[in-house]
Amino acid sequence: MLFQSQFYVLIFLPVAAALYYAAAGSTIVRQWVLIGASLVFYGWWDARLVVLPVAQITGTWLLALAHERYGQRAFLVAGVVLNLASLGTFKYLDFLLGIFESLSGLALPRANIVLPIGISFFSFQLISYLIDRLRGSAPIYPFRPFALFVLIYPHLIAGPIVRHNELVPQFALDPRREGVWRRIGIGLVIFAVGFAKKVLIADKLATVADPLFARADLRALDLGEAWTAVLAFTFQLFLDFSAYTEMAIGSALVFGVVLPENFRRPYLATDIRDFWRRWHISLSNFLRDYLYIPLGGSRNGPWRYVLATTGTMGLCGLWHGAGWTYVVWGLWHGIGLVTCRAWQQLNRPMPSIVGWAITLLFVMVGWVIFRSKSFGAAGSMLMSLAGAGGFGGTLQEVKLLVVAALASGLIPSAHEIKDGLLHPHPALAAGGAALAVYCLLEVGQGTPVNFIYFQF
Amino acid sequence: MILRHRQADAGKVNEWRRFVAVFLRVLFGGTVIFYLFVLLVDPYDIVAFSLPLDRRIVSISQRYMYPQIVRSRRYDSLVVGTSTVRLLDPQLLDKSFGTRFANLAMDSMTAWEQKTMITYFIRKVGPPKVLIVGLDVVWCDQSADRNRITFRGFPDWLYDDNQWNDYLYLFNVGTAEIAGRLVGYQLGLYPERVRYDGYEVFVLPESEYDLTRARQRIWNRRKPEAPPNVAPPSLSLDKRRALVFPALNWLDATLAKLPSSSLKILAYVPVHVAAQPWPGTHAAAVEAECKTRIAAIAGRRGATVIDWRINSVLTRNDSNYWDSLHYRVPIATRIANQLGPAVLAGRESDDGSYRLILR
Repeated sequence: MLFQSQFYVLIFLPVAAALYYAAAGSTIVRQWVLIGASLVFYGWWDARLVVLPVAQITGTWLLALAHERYGQRAFLVAGVVLNLASLGTFKYLDFLLGIFESLSGLALPRANIVLPIGISFFSFQLISYLIDRLRGSAPIYPFRPFALFVLIYPHLIAGPIVRHNELVPQFALDPRREGVWRRIGIGLVIFAVGFAKKVLIADKLATVADPLFARADLRALDLGEAWTAVLAFTFQLFLDFSAYTEMAIGSALVFGVVLPENFRRPYLATDIRDFWRRWHISLSNFLRDYLYIPLGGSRNGPWRYVLATTGTMGLCGLWHGAGWTYVVWGLWHGIGLVTCRAWQQLNRPMPSIVGWAITLLFVMVGWVIFRSKSFGAAGSMLMSLAGAGGFGGTLQEVKLLVVAALASGLIPSAHEIKDGLLHPHPALAAGGAALAVYCLLEVGQGTPVNFIYFQF
Repeated sequence: MILRHRQADAGKVNEWRRFVAVFLRVLFGGTVIFYLFVLLVDPYDIVAFSLPLDRRIVSISQRYMYPQIVRSRRYDSLVVGTSTVRLLDPQLLDKSFGTRFANLAMDSMTAWEQKTMITYFIRKVGPPKVLIVGLDVVWCDQSADRNRITFRGFPDWLYDDNQWNDYLYLFNVGTAEIAGRLVGYQLGLYPERVRYDGYEVFVLPESEYDLTRARQRIWNRRKPEAPPNVAPPSLSLDKRRALVFPALNWLDATLAKLPSSSLKILAYVPVHVAAQPWPGTHAAAVEAECKTRIAAIAGRRGATVIDWRINSVLTRNDSNYWDSLHYRVPIATRIANQLGPAVLAGRESDDGSYRLILR
């Protein structure tokens, strides 16, 4: 099910919330209600695929329980292997076969397995729990709240990536506790903001970026086309993904659950380290805690730092998709982070505006690699950006790009709204709801456009 | 002091409760109001309980607006095709054929959409008295089965027999906007956009015709030249067998649904020679093969085939066209007037602008 569908907004969310609050007096019943709603939400795409997250959650929980009972770390290692095997099979098998094929020269068949939606997100959350168990920092939870920590539908498909200790304690709290109307009100407004960003801007940008990137596969774009394509995709990706996050955070707030922040206006970053503190924050935190620090972090000498940073970012790229372009995109950012840190250690700060421009340009080059189907296509697009396809053409859809830029730079993040920007004025409520009604009318026009991050 | 704090907290709670109440009222109230508005105005004429309005075609969203023309049962004959036949005036055709024609051709109407429209007409009205299919490149498209609809989308829910699923698709900006236009029409604020029989002069007024600009559009940076008078290269039997025209199966099946009492006319449309496969090329050979197969289908199904899509005085003359696909209104009038005598009386063209292939 898509957040930005009429069915979700007008039927699913109100019904699920009504049942949840009707059952609010019983922890057990309301948690089952939320689990049931989450399974329906996930199974809406393909009911058969519900088996996978349920199996991974159950397997992980049983192995953690066995570890608790018998004290053998092998159970936890087996759990990590189980989740990695699932991820590897469903997401990376064909990629690995391709690598093996090119190394061995053998012609191998492809599995062509359907990628279960959200697998990267729920697998990583289960692995993080098992690693925390290995570190001795995760308790055994009852099955129900443990399952709910992974399954709770607002974050199930595309995050924010949540750690068990951020969510499980919240499930014990009565959603009718003090501040319930404030949480619901803020949740609805945050949802409406995300809804509008997705439907009114990001999806419009897709109609600009997609044909131009497709055209770039066939011929070199001129300067105007290339910059239009890359700017459109740059804004589309942020507005699409942050819109999903806002709809997720907003929906969760309606149920009285606070999900962590994921974006803080990343295109205002003045250096690339700043960018990663603002972009996909929950993934950055996850990678920091479970990869970067175990790989050595920044306190074991410069070479270890370089290795830890580029290794972490390379794997970050691979997490996004089973393709070398994703890996290179990650490495590009790894190199950027290392270079940025080296520059900062020289103590020669550059003017903020220069830093901002360099950072944005660096990020946009990265998005070209990220978006392209092949290195050839990425190279062609980058050459076009430099004018190799001719200096003709002008920037297209300027109004839309300006609106997108303003929205990217000015709209506060979900947590900024939550933490005090919003006041309970009826005009704001009416405005937010009217915006939502318009978005509902807009999405009724055709098939809703999937979120970009659903493919990861 | 404590009491004051408690009162302040209670005030905040009430403010947020009112905030949520206002949000939900506007959200659900707005939804209901918009939906009711669309249902009552009913711009597609599908809602059982809508207001009794004079529903005109106030939008050029042909795929959405035309099914009601069929369901009105005011017409017993139809034209389908792309924009290349939209200028054929049903009233002129009526004079020749003694019918009540609706021109249901649409911009870029694919072969699949044309087939859907014909079968919809048969289901809702019965076999047409006369069916005119404007043949052009879409019927010979070798990827017609992969590209069944255009980027515009196609509301197949409007063309099925399930009236109830229609209600799921009416709550959207496009429908609300058309409903608003229809209200505007009732109030005399908005004009009818397309005559109810589907006829619309979508090209500029004749007074604004500019041959120089038309030539630029016709030849599109190519050097204008007369096509050579050469036959298409012959294709080997294997190559001909390898050619697949998926839309022709639909054409065959659709014509098979019609009784012999229906007059079936397959009319190749006169696009400019610049838009036809250039003589002597492989594309010309492929088109020749497609035409051969269409003639065979027509022969089997008792259809008449008339061909304006040839190298002729009509299609070579730039001044007959707005662009390479769209002829001018006087040409459309000429075609509409020639069609009846050609099909009904076997009248050949005086100047060779069309060929009567099968009758």
